[in-house]
Order: sequence, then structure tokens, then C-alpha cells
Amino acid sequence: MSTWRRVHVNLRKAHGLFPVSSRRVTQPNTWKYGHLTLCKSLSTSRPLRDDFFKDLEVQLAAMRQKALDALPGSDWSPLKMDRSLPPERADVVIVGGGVIGWSIAYWIKQKERLRGGVRVVVVEKDPTYSQASTVLSAGGIRQQFSLPENICLSIASAQFMKNINEHLHVLNEDPVDLQFNHSGYLFLANEEVAHIMEENYKTQRSFGAHVSLLSATQLKEKFPWINTDGVALASYGLENEGWFDPWTLLQAFKRKALSLGAEQSIGEVTDFKYTSNIATTAEGDQVVQRRIKSVKVQVNNSLEYQPIECAIVVNAAGALSGKLAATLGILLPVEPRKRYIYVLNCPDGPGLDTPFLIDYSGVWFRREGLGGNYIAGTSPEEALEPDTSDLEVDHQFFEEKVWPHLASRVPALEKLKVTSAWAGFYDYNTFDQNAVIGLHPSINNMFFATGFSGHGLQHSPAVGRAMAELIMEGNFTSIDLSNLGFRRIIQKEPMLERNIV
Amino acid sequence: MLKILIPTLMLIPTAWFAPPKWLWPLTLMGSLLIAVTSFSWFKSTSEVGWTTLNSYMATDPLSTPLLALTCWLLPLMILASQHHTHNEPLNRQRTYLTLLISLQFFLILAFSATELIMFYVMFEATLLPTLMIITRWGNQAERLNAGMYFLFYTLASSLPLLVALLILQNTSGTLSLLTLQYMSPMSLTTHADKLWWVGCLLAFLVKMPLYGVHLWLPKAHVEAPIAGSMILAAVLLKLGGFGMMRMMLVLEPLTKEMLYPFIVFALWGIVMAGSICLRQTDLKSLIAYSSVSHMGLVVAGILVQTPWGFAGALILMIAHGLTSSALFCLANTNYERIHSRSILLARGLHMVLPLMATWWFFASMANLALPPLPNLMGELMIITSLIGWSYWTLALTGTGMLITASYSMYMFITTQRGPLPNHLVALDPSHTREHLIMALHLLPLILLILNPQLISGWVN
Repeated sequence: MSTWRRVHVNLRKAHGLFPVSSRRVTQPNTWKYGHLTLCKSLSTSRPLRDDFFKDLEVQLAAMRQKALDALPGSDWSPLKMDRSLPPERADVVIVGGGVIGWSIAYWIKQKERLRGGVRVVVVEKDPTYSQASTVLSAGGIRQQFSLPENICLSIASAQFMKNINEHLHVLNEDPVDLQFNHSGYLFLANEEVAHIMEENYKTQRSFGAHVSLLSATQLKEKFPWINTDGVALASYGLENEGWFDPWTLLQAFKRKALSLGAEQSIGEVTDFKYTSNIATTAEGDQVVQRRIKSVKVQVNNSLEYQPIECAIVVNAAGALSGKLAATLGILLPVEPRKRYIYVLNCPDGPGLDTPFLIDYSGVWFRREGLGGNYIAGTSPEEALEPDTSDLEVDHQFFEEKVWPHLASRVPALEKLKVTSAWAGFYDYNTFDQNAVIGLHPSINNMFFATGFSGHGLQHSPAVGRAMAELIMEGNFTSIDLSNLGFRRIIQKEPMLERNIV
Repeated sequence: MLKILIPTLMLIPTAWFAPPKWLWPLTLMGSLLIAVTSFSWFKSTSEVGWTTLNSYMATDPLSTPLLALTCWLLPLMILASQHHTHNEPLNRQRTYLTLLISLQFFLILAFSATELIMFYVMFEATLLPTLMIITRWGNQAERLNAGMYFLFYTLASSLPLLVALLILQNTSGTLSLLTLQYMSPMSLTTHADKLWWVGCLLAFLVKMPLYGVHLWLPKAHVEAPIAGSMILAAVLLKLGGFGMMRMMLVLEPLTKEMLYPFIVFALWGIVMAGSICLRQTDLKSLIAYSSVSHMGLVVAGILVQTPWGFAGALILMIAHGLTSSALFCLANTNYERIHSRSILLARGLHMVLPLMATWWFFASMANLALPPLPNLMGELMIITSLIGWSYWTLALTGTGMLITASYSMYMFITTQRGPLPNHLVALDPSHTREHLIMALHLLPLILLILNPQLISGWVN
């Protein structure tokens, strides 16, 4: 024991690498408390502080932490389980971690009556959301649709978002601030399409949307900066319309769903394992019914994969849902379509009450922030759809297609500067540009919530609730979305919107 | 005895040398033959009760029903495992069957042991194949945790049992049950004797399980594959009860005072485990907790040490073994089709699988102790003997029976009745194999209504 009391290292013997110094680098290890030593470490130098009790406290804290880790109720196990891979089995696997996917996860967790009743896993390929449609969206919400289902979904979603902290607030965390600008949408119609606008107006009013029709003169009175040439009728949303921050909504859904017990896993769904049953109809035709047994999730940049055995699969993969359905051999008419958004700076532009203006030519713009910035864009013609292999922006498109119409409609925007631009994908339903929601007829346990063609973000709370009702209760109970099911695609009866951007 | 043991042992080479196409049919037929032959033990012409006696093993009216249950369960386990193992490589299937057969072998030796040390060794030996079945063939990553809990709970509680048995050998000079039953009560007065009393019983209480030490059971039952769940619920829990009934012989005068905390735990456990069942969303977990609840009643029945208590405990053990195993098979039929154990996702099934709904009905009714099934007879006998011990136990046992009825009905109504979700409309129809398993579980239960003396132990 006594040898430990006075130990020092003599560096003079170490040659070569260190500058030879005769100075003692360490002090002799004198023990303040006399002959009693506590040989708790094999260190040959004295620690910097000389307090026995502080060191003891540190050691006790470490022991306490270790004991806490080992108590029941904690995650510690002598056999370490690899938690970086997705779980081996789950009840519901949601493919796609965008706002629709997390909304469905949140609502399913909301509807399970007991904690831990249904195991939900959300599989997302790209945790940075670099190409996700959700975060690249313009973030608008409107009730001005022609399809009753769309109107009801928007109204329900707007109610949800106005009361978002009642739904998505997590204890001890910051409240959710969506930055919901209630500036409304303003649709402009010329002579040819004014009658469609009037019919839509009647439908919207009958479902409870607060929309008003304005004539050209009323329009000029309300918004003097608009050039009303060619405008016969305008439709202005008075309530529950505007824009909000998509990233905040996504993170709010995700945070609440995770706090309720949903799980997230990072990876790409590449394959499914299913069983097939061949049934014969009354006429003698053979129908194949398939049931998915497990979903193969491939870890990014690795050869590792994990098959997740599951009861229900939800396809909420957005722009890539068509590709996902193709791995199962299903024809889902959803493909990515690239849309550009340009950020403009115009100090003399229209004021703070600028609504989300959509012209009958398809060009739209809205205010962004308070510094005289606006964002604008338009839908390209069918034949001139840009290439979807990347998200590069075509600035020529702005010069040719957007600016002329914009400048003619809003003269103040003739002098502007394009400060930035980005592109995002629509999950475009090539069949009728409306959502596909529901079960697939020949795959018994695969649900779809995709094909929103540009209005997915604004419908996400209500669609999540509808999907959760479908999964947990077996049928739609709040909004009946059976018309948006797969049946119309198979029977080739499109449900077209007469008002599409 | 050898006419059962040797064929059981020989089933292992059958499993390894059978041609692949005949593996499952051969082992099934072999185990069925053994099961039918095991019924010959019921025909006992001995005056002293103990039959088929040799130096190490014997059968008596207490162990015969349990032995028959063990032998009866092996063909059922083989039938139930066929589906989920058919995709595995052949040698793994053979290993699985070997584990099941070795489990039966150890269980037969355990139940028929006359020497308490042999019983102890076999009691421990059954842990190993079960552990292998749970950790290798279970479904989820949590099975490792479940295996740990299962192994260490039982192991830690059975070490005192070994010490206690050695002390008993030293004081009384013998550990043979045939001799111990005639031993006069020992003088057990010191604190160390009280500890010895606890040491004798702790292993069995953990195995039963008693409510306070029951944590391993839901984990093990949920994570085990179907055969593991069946053997655990039907027979391994009864090892604990059987051990308790054997040990009661020697624990005599001390039991009157020492039983108080354990009876309290047992009775309270009936109510608590039943209440937990009402909150479960995982079907297998629900059935596991219902096992805890029923076994609480068995523990209480054994601890009061009356003839009716023992008879009721044995009847309830056999009846519960068949019922619980049947319920696990039903939950497995659900799981094989839907791949989820959640009650919330598997509802309204009587529209899709009506015949299976009939089996669900019978099994649920058996679980809630419907007269005239032996489940009720056992429960009534235990409750009656408990009332003889103290009137106040009626409050707990009565509440327990009420809660049992409500969670059994809850399970039945949630899985079978109600609207059928759209994603469950097209399920595989019920296989003959599944109907056979259910019939072989419930038919003996119904036949036992007619002759309950077979399973009521030494009272006749």
C-alpha cells in the first residue's frame, strides 16, 4: 500500500520523442488523510482536484445511473438488441414519412383505445426530406374545390389547424405555431369559365365554405393593384383559407405520433412478401386475392435489410407511390410531376392583404413574409412537363411562362427580382388528379392515401383521420370518402376537379 | 411406465430419420399412440393408490391426470406447429420436434417421480427445451428478454428448493414420497424452519405463478411460438401446482401460520390479473394473464390443505390446461391469417370464419367456468373449501369469478362480434387441421363432465 503513496514518473528515461526535461511532470502522490489510502485507480499521477468526497460523488452517480439502467422498466438488457434496424414485426406499416404518413400514424394512435394497442411503424427513406413533396410545397389551403369530398376535407383540416394545439400539443414541449396566414384564395375567371366558377361557388357554399363571388368592379375596389382586364368573376375565400408552414405541420404530427408510441424507421421499402388465393367468380372468371405478409425495408447505403411482418400496409409514399405499387404489380396511376416555385422580391408590390391569387391562365402568386417577398409559379402544359429525374429549376420557364401573365395581371410586379427558386414534386394522379384513398380491391390489406396532385398537404389532417377510421373502425365515419376509392380507377370513371392548379 | 417412456424416447430417432414427406405424419401418429396408451394409467386396481411402481417412478391418482395431459398435448403441439415451421429447413424442423419430444420425456419423468430429488432435477430440466423453443422460434426481438425472465425467475427461486430438499433429506433420512407420506410432522419452530418452509414452496409459487412473482409469464407466453405457449400454459404451470401438492405432505404444522401472505397474494392476484385482462389489447397477453388469474385460485386451493381444496385444484388444473391451450391455438389461427395479435385489428371474425367462431365460443365459455364443465366444478370446490377456511375469501373469489366472466366475454365479443373491417374480408378459410386441434382440446373437456372422478385426485 505504501508504494502507492509516492509514485512519480521520471521522464528523463524516456528518450526520443519527447523533449528531454528534467522537470518532474507529476507531483508526488501524497495522501492528505494519512496512511489510509483508497486504491481506487491505477493512475500514476495525482488527479487535478484533491477532494475525496467529490470523486466519491461522481462514482456514486455513475453507479446509480448503471443501476437505473438495469432496473425493470428500462431498456437495458444483457443481450443487446440492434435497435437501428426496423422492428421485426408491426401491426401497421406506413410507407412514407411525409405529412400524410405521419398524420395517419398520429390518428391511428389517437384512435387506439388503450396504450400500445396497435404497433405503428412509419418507414421513411430520406430523413432529411430533401425531395419530399411536403416540405417543398407552397403550403396553401383552400376550400374552393368543385368535388364535395375535397371541400369537406379542407374544411375539416382547417378546423384542425386552427385548433392545432388541442390536438398536437405534447407535454413540456413548445406549442405548435403553424404561422397560418388567413389571407384567403382569390380565383379569377374569364367569360368562358365564369359559369363553372358560379356552380362551384354554389357547391362550396352548400357544404359550409365561406366563399364570396366578386364582380370585376368589386374586385377592383377590394384589391386596387389588380388589373381586371378579362376578369368576369372572382371567387374570394373569406375564412379558413390561406397558407401555413408545411415543415411545422409535419414535425408537429411526427412529434405527437412519436410521443403516443408510433415508431419510425429509416429505410426504403423495396419488396413485399405476400400470399395469393385464387378465387372463381360466379361467371367462372379467376380472381387473384393477395395478402401482404411482410414488407422488406432496405437500409440506406447498406446491404442490411429487415423484413417487417405486418398486418396492414399503408401506401403514403407520395410521388413514389406509383413505383411502390409497381413492385406489387399494381397499376397505380400516380407519378411525380415537377413544379417550380420562384421567390420574388418586389418592394412596390401589393400589400399585406394579398391573397393567394390564381389567374385563369394558371399562373399563381402569394405573399411570403413581410419584406415584400412573393412566391409565384404555374402549371406547365401537359405536353411540356419537365423532366422528373432531379429537382433542378428552369429559370427560363419563369421568363417565358410566369412573368408575362403575372406582370399583366398585377402591374406592380413588372419590376421584380427573382431572388430564389426551388422545385418540388406533385404526386400527380394521371387519371383524374384527385386523391386515391382506400383499400385496393385485389390486395386485401394494402391501403392507399396518395395521388393528391398538389392538395395533399392541405388535406392531410382530415385524410389521416379518415384512414385511421378505415383501419380501426372499418369504415369512414366522419367524411365519406368512398367515392375517392380505387373503384373509380378500375371502372375508368374519373372524378375530375373542375378547378385545378 | 416403460411402455410410455421408451416410445417417447424413440420418437426422437423417428424425428431424425423420418423421410421429409413423412416427418410430421409419423411423429404425429407416434405421439397419438403414446397418448392413447397413457390412458391405461387411469385403470388403477391398486389398493394403496400408487400403481406402476418401480424404484424411481410411480403413478398415483394425483399424477395420472397430469401425465395423461402431458401425453395428450404432444400430438396437439405437433399439429399446431406444422404451419409455421413448414418454410424452415428440414433439420430445423427435426430439431424443433426433438425439443418438444424431450420436453414430454422430462415432464413424464417429473410427474411420475417418487424421489423428490428426481422431481427437482426434471423440474429444472424442463427449463432448457422451453428456453430454446422461446428464444429460437419466437417471433420478435423481445423474445430474448422473455427467455431471460423465464429462466432466471425459475432458476433463482428453485435454488432454495434444492437446499430445502437437502435439509429434508438430512432431517428425515428420506426423500421418497412413498415414505414421506407416512412421516410424522416435524417440529418446526425456529425462524430457520420458516425459511425452510418458504424455500420448499417458492419455486412452485413462481412456477404457478403466484401474483407477485408472475412477471415472467406474460412475456414468455406472448413471445413463445404456439407449441411453446401450449406446453407452458397447459403443463409447465401445473408442474408448480403438482410440486406444491407433493410438498404439502412434509410442511405440516407450519403451514397454518405461514400460508397467510401467500393466500393473500393468490386471492388478490385473481382479482388483479383479471382486471389487467380487461385492459389488454394483445390477445396472447390476455390469455396469459387469465392463466395467472386461474392459477391464483389453484394456489389458494392447495394452500388451505383440505381434501376438497386439493381435488378442486387438480380438477381446475386439468380443465384450465385444456382450455388455455385451446385459447392459445385459437389466437394462433388468428395470428397466422392476420399477422397481428392486436384485438383492435382482428374483429368481427364470425362473419368470415363461422366455424372457428364456434370453437371460440366453447373455449371462452370454458374459460369463464360455465357449468357443467369441469372448470366450474374445480372452481366451486376450491371456493367452498376457502369459505370453510374463512368467510371473507368469498368477496375476493366472487369478484374474481365476475371479472373472469367479463374478460372472457370481452375477448369473445371483440374478436368475433361487431363489424368486420374491410381488410379482413378475404381470409383463408379454416383448415381441417385447425378444427382437429380444437376438437381434440375441447372434446376431452366435455367428456370429463361425465366422469370427473378421473381427475379429482385422492378423494375417491
